Amino acid sequence: MNTISELMTHDHRDCDGIFVRAEELASDGDWAEAADALKQFADALNAHFDAEESTLFPAFEQATGMTQGPTAVMRSEHRNMRDTLAALQYALDKQDADDFAGEAETLLIMMQQHNMKEESVIYPMLDTRLSGEEQQRLSDSVGKHLTEARAA
Amino acid sequence: MMGPGLSYEDTPPFSAPVRFFLTAPLFGIAAGLTLVFGGEILVSRWTPGALAIAHLFAAGFMLQVMLGALLQVMPVVAGASMPAPLLIAGVTHVAMTLGTAGLAFGLGTGTPGVLLAGAASLVGGLAFFLSAAALGLRRGSKTGSNTRTPRDLRMAFAGLVVTAAFGLALALVLGSGVALPVPLPTAVNLHAGWGWMGWAAVLLAATSWVVVPMFQITAAYPQRFTLLWAPAVTGTLVLWTIAEFFALDGARIAAIIALGLLGAGYAAITLYLQAHSRRSKPDTPFLAFRQAMYAALAGVLVLVISLWSDADYWPILAGVLILHGGFGGTITAMLYKILPFLAWLHLTQAGLKAPNMKKLLPDTPIRRQLHVRTASLASLCVAVFVPMLAPLAGLVLAVEFGWLFANLLRVVRARRDAARSAGPRPGSHASA
Repeated sequence: MNTISELMTHDHRDCDGIFVRAEELASDGDWAEAADALKQFADALNAHFDAEESTLFPAFEQATGMTQGPTAVMRSEHRNMRDTLAALQYALDKQDADDFAGEAETLLIMMQQHNMKEESVIYPMLDTRLSGEEQQRLSDSVGKHLTEARAA
Repeated sequence: MMGPGLSYEDTPPFSAPVRFFLTAPLFGIAAGLTLVFGGEILVSRWTPGALAIAHLFAAGFMLQVMLGALLQVMPVVAGASMPAPLLIAGVTHVAMTLGTAGLAFGLGTGTPGVLLAGAASLVGGLAFFLSAAALGLRRGSKTGSNTRTPRDLRMAFAGLVVTAAFGLALALVLGSGVALPVPLPTAVNLHAGWGWMGWAAVLLAATSWVVVPMFQITAAYPQRFTLLWAPAVTGTLVLWTIAEFFALDGARIAAIIALGLLGAGYAAITLYLQAHSRRSKPDTPFLAFRQAMYAALAGVLVLVISLWSDADYWPILAGVLILHGGFGGTITAMLYKILPFLAWLHLTQAGLKAPNMKKLLPDTPIRRQLHVRTASLASLCVAVFVPMLAPLAGLVLAVEFGWLFANLLRVVRARRDAARSAGPRPGSHASA
């Protein structure tokens, strides 16, 4: 069985891979392909955020009793990343390579420090606080959410 | 209930880490100027000038940045928030800055009183910081994090304690004639060895386990490697220390070679991972990080050579390659990522529209400064063999750090200007 940590960390790395492709295509000036890659990235990122906000964070809040602490910060960082993603999309629409590179750098660091917090605190806490059965149920539900959103 | 250190209140104010980051390059400039005006001080590692420069660089530049960065990242990587970060930053920064300046001045001019006062102030500042860090780690997340970083951070702190203890003992020897159970050069080697490997390398590695795969988009370090590396370094340091105390020559050499191989192993694996990064167009700081790994590998090779050669220049060259090339390079590369992001983060958290990271600090000044850095490393290496060139190398070193300071200051100013002129971030949900 995959732990929550393994499942979600794997999805982080998947998102990174698509992000890097969009970044490279844009730096090559291949804007049409970059637009496709960025759309794919935005879909993957939003699916990940949605799965966390609708399923995983509530499970964390219930398991730990912390409703205003870590998950509130994670949700707020999701909003910041969605804003930066919009700025990235805007730079792509303008085909402004400098702006795109700057927004991409900002989003990458924002994303990675956010992932670092989730992977070192949030997911391991779920791995230890939930029973095997609860973990399995949560993994199934989050996994289903991610697969459906990607397929859509 | 005490939560893990993930809330915004756990993010220290901008000024807490930034004071360390802005002070650090000033010590680099001081090291350069010491070389400019100190004459042929690179002829041996034992000249007063060389001892002063080593401390300006290690305690003035490296340690300042490392502690500033730890204030910021401990909540993130270890779920451990420091209590009262501004107070800790304030006291530690003043004590360390005055202490390092006094220590370097005392060593360089042979003034025992200043040396002792400097060492006491430096160690006092460290003790204050480490107590707060220990408190933060103890009340931090106990969730069994899936990285080795929190455990390795603790080991690095232990390495720093040993380094400081040897340093204080040496200051007492030089300052007030206290006798040691081992010869002075042995105690100096142990002080440097624990500082380089037990503290700085373990901290760098603990950071790399997280930072290299995430920010440079590489595969993860092999699990067995990250599991064993820091304990192997710390264990070997303990064995080496015992071998030195009992004058066991064979064990001593074996331990030093083992430490060199561990350092080289870390650099080699990092280079391998970076070579297979999914980001095929590396940015300038990434290239600087790679250059630092090559410099560290060369430094280890020279260090091993120095075990069998009595020539004075090998240890100096190893010091230049490892301290300036290896640690200096990785620290500079990381500063270029950390500071613009912190500026962006604090603006965003204040609900303001933040310029993107490349507007806060464009690529061109970074690239230029890093070119000077390469020239600086090369000229230091040449000056080791041609002592009359030391002042020239010192000048390039001072320019390197002056430029670094200017680049960092540029970010701080850009943040201030953005805070003055920016309206709220469009569609911002962040609270003011």
